[in-house]
Amino acid sequence: MKSARKRVTACGRILLSFLLVTCSTFLSAQTFTFTAIPDQDETRLTERFGRVATYLSQQLGTEVRYIPVKSYPAAVAAFRNDQVQLAWFGGLTGVQARNLVPGSEAIAQGAEDTAFKTYFIAHSSTGLKAGDAFPAAIAGKSFTFGSKGSTSGRLMPEFFVREHFKKAPEQIFSRVGFSGDHSRTIALVQSGAYDVGVLNYTVWDEELKLGKIDTSKVSVIWTTPTYPDYQWSIRGDVDSKWGAGFKQKVQKALLEMKDPKLLEAFPRSAFVPAQNSDYAPIEDTAVSLGIMDEIM
Amino acid sequence: MVRTSLLFLLAALLCLPWADLQISTLDPWLELSRLGWGLLTPLPPSTPTLLDALANTLAFALQGVALGAVAGFWLALFYRWQWVRTLAAFIRSIHELFWALLFVQLVGLSSVAGVLAIAIPYAGTFAKIYGELFEEVDPAALEALPAGTSRLSAFFFTVLPPAWPHLLTYTRYRLECGIRSSAVLGFIGLPTVGFHLETALKQGMYSEAAALFYALVLVIVTLHLWMRRQLLPLYLLLALWWLPPAAQVNPTLVWQFFTVDIVPAPLRAGWDGAALWLWLQALWLKQIGPGLANTVVLGLIALVATSGVTLLTFPLVSRLFGNIFTRSTGHVFLVLMRSAPEYLLAFVGLLLWGPSMLPAIVALGLHNGAIIAHLVGHYSNELNLREDAVTGFNRYFYEVLPRVYRTFLAFTLYRFEILLRESAILGILGIPTLGFFIDSAFSEFRFDRALLLLLVTALLNMAVDMIARHLRRRLQLSTHPEDL
Amino acid sequence: MNAAVLFDVQQASLGYQQRAILHGLNLRIHAGEKVALLGESGAGKTTLLRHLRTLRPDEVAWCPQHSGLVPMLSVFHNIYMGRLDRHSLLYNLANLLHPLQQPRQDIQRIAADVGLQEYLFTSVEKLSGGQQSRTNLARALYQQRAVFIGDEPVSAVDELQADQLMALICARHDTVVVALHDVELALRHCTRIVGLRAGVIELDQPAAGSSAATLCRLYAAT
Repeated sequence: MKSARKRVTACGRILLSFLLVTCSTFLSAQTFTFTAIPDQDETRLTERFGRVATYLSQQLGTEVRYIPVKSYPAAVAAFRNDQVQLAWFGGLTGVQARNLVPGSEAIAQGAEDTAFKTYFIAHSSTGLKAGDAFPAAIAGKSFTFGSKGSTSGRLMPEFFVREHFKKAPEQIFSRVGFSGDHSRTIALVQSGAYDVGVLNYTVWDEELKLGKIDTSKVSVIWTTPTYPDYQWSIRGDVDSKWGAGFKQKVQKALLEMKDPKLLEAFPRSAFVPAQNSDYAPIEDTAVSLGIMDEIM
Repeated sequence: MVRTSLLFLLAALLCLPWADLQISTLDPWLELSRLGWGLLTPLPPSTPTLLDALANTLAFALQGVALGAVAGFWLALFYRWQWVRTLAAFIRSIHELFWALLFVQLVGLSSVAGVLAIAIPYAGTFAKIYGELFEEVDPAALEALPAGTSRLSAFFFTVLPPAWPHLLTYTRYRLECGIRSSAVLGFIGLPTVGFHLETALKQGMYSEAAALFYALVLVIVTLHLWMRRQLLPLYLLLALWWLPPAAQVNPTLVWQFFTVDIVPAPLRAGWDGAALWLWLQALWLKQIGPGLANTVVLGLIALVATSGVTLLTFPLVSRLFGNIFTRSTGHVFLVLMRSAPEYLLAFVGLLLWGPSMLPAIVALGLHNGAIIAHLVGHYSNELNLREDAVTGFNRYFYEVLPRVYRTFLAFTLYRFEILLRESAILGILGIPTLGFFIDSAFSEFRFDRALLLLLVTALLNMAVDMIARHLRRRLQLSTHPEDL
Repeated sequence: MNAAVLFDVQQASLGYQQRAILHGLNLRIHAGEKVALLGESGAGKTTLLRHLRTLRPDEVAWCPQHSGLVPMLSVFHNIYMGRLDRHSLLYNLANLLHPLQQPRQDIQRIAADVGLQEYLFTSVEKLSGGQQSRTNLARALYQQRAVFIGDEPVSAVDELQADQLMALICARHDTVVVALHDVELALRHCTRIVGLRAGVIELDQPAAGSSAATLCRLYAAT
């Protein structure tokens, strides 16, 4: 009986979190809610981030809930709509979200995110070899980005490509695709469906470690210069709802998250402080590529 | 009729030079063998997760389709008015995913967003099909009524009863589509089967993907067993209990959405005609123009591919051909093809042939061809051939094809607009269709662009609708338009 | 004659589906007349009847040949449809879902008059041709108008029944205009015979004094 009830509870968990959040406006006490779009391994999101929610609850002394969101636009919509107050965003998504929610701030980033990188990978048949200089020989090949809203899979690589060729990607490559996901990019280049692809370096390193990559078929040919990426963004109005100093408390809790079990959900080795100005380069790049309009 | 078919074939052939069909792939077999192995070894994520996702999928589908059917019914009452037809064509031309993204902006990530995302485009489709069913009712009964009978009374007594059985059949078929749509909404984060399916596909966990896919197929295949008219109210109540309507409406944001977000960027600071012109020009050159061209080229070629698949595969499920074994195999094949998301088929095609229009054409052709083949096969089962009718190819070409051709053509014309709409979700192939740019606009949070592109898509759809309506009239394709 | 003129058609050319069928037609019908229209099929009877109906749409009980029945609805509903114009939408809808007391009694009586009392709640599609024809007639009777216009209202029933039904039609309506193909039936029940041939009125005479033999020229080969 007890286990049956437990199962029903588990069964309705995603749904409940989803609904309770939506109902929460009508309740006086709002639950502090966060979401996270990880750059890899989207499985068991609720389970993995559920642990993070428990940790934050303990640290903040208030109930904390996680809701799973899949797409970048939906996550930003939830942040804007105050359905979530805290979010683990990619660099570009964070800039876009904070742009739409005045007063919101970046408060922490992964230790790795201060100097993030993109790998350019190529299928062996292209004959492209790894090197320190920008691989100009990729011109004319077929090319795939990751997701349209990804910083490491789209924004930064597009920036470096444009900077080198002074042309739009469609004018350089025989075809430009959007695989939608970093792992997908590896699979597509490995199969030769696309000649060249770009992706988040941590995803590549992780899959290489797991032995999922056949290096005789696909290899890294260039690593971009570093740029800031993932960060925690928080809405500006949390202090008025959960009391003065709440934002600092959240920041402190994030920075003090040391349990590797919690950190592997992101996956990051630790969190370090961040602020909006850290992401100015990302914003400038987005504007220069025409992905964002200039802020008036 | 044959001339119209040839016209479409010719148009598609003329499009071929603009369609990029090159094959460029090298080592698809590693990924494909993983995929194949996954299909053979389905492994559900966990039973509660699976059941939970299935329940959500059904709840969204039931609520959305029910709401859409009611709204569509009311629209259909006024279907003879051009503006109602235009409205219906407009709302159904926008893919469910885009409706969902729009509603997420307005009512948050909530059950209402998901239900409306299904209900609104479905209302447009229901309006069209119901409206045409009503138009096809024999007018004799209407003319015999006493003068001065109110339109609505006349409608309920003389038009609705003859149309009713077709209406029910069609609505049930749409529920099947609704389940698929509901699953696809998981791609943006609603907690349906698609939520887990997309993850599994992205991460290459094909066993898990296969289990989710099979579960979805099972629900769809058994639909006729558990979906009874008498039980429908119960199912609806259950759906409402499981997924109560909830929305997070933030009036400020809604206001901002309509007064700022969707206002063209150059006009937000005040009227600036020159800037608006530049904005429109840039959008036209970079997105609308190429998007339109690609969408039409892809749509036309995919239409011909769909027709080819239909004509080849409908005998597989027709009682006039083959034996029980071939028919069962045929049924399984068609069910798998029409339940598989086009995205998945396109991905397999991409692995096999590399990025080009080819995987898109094959994916759209297989998926939609399987749907029409199912319907045409169904229709052919009602034909009575003489006992000494010829068999084999002669039967196909002399006895069956001439009889089903009219139906086949009517179904295919209906499907055309769906092909145009579905091309939106094939961005992975690097084909910049209108839908591709709409998707980009959403991921850049540029709702002004999204809206303009949606309007262009809607205009294209209305044009297609008008052409199809004209052709239908001219060819008198007054088959029962159920099951589309 | 001093009765009021009900229909007055002068020099009319009437057509059907853009084809002129009747030419230079003159016809005046007074209240109280029982007019039989005779003539071969294609002579223009239906066209003339349709036209007459449009002249006084609110006073005419109309009984068309292609019955306009709704096959999946019951006899009750098909008869009830004769009065759709006299009730509100809500009342009509209520009757569609569940027949109400008053119309039920009225319709039961009329159904009994035409011999359909046992089939009141049977779908029309399950009835024979003759029964359908009687349903159609019952709908016109249910309208309870002063003027009855019918296009072969009794053609699908046997002779004896046809006789009874014609008597019923004449008894319930002040003025009757019917197309018939049975000359004897016309002579028995009507007061005036109008013969059509190839779109013109070939003869127009009182029934009294006419004989079947004289009317046969309407059907003779030219």
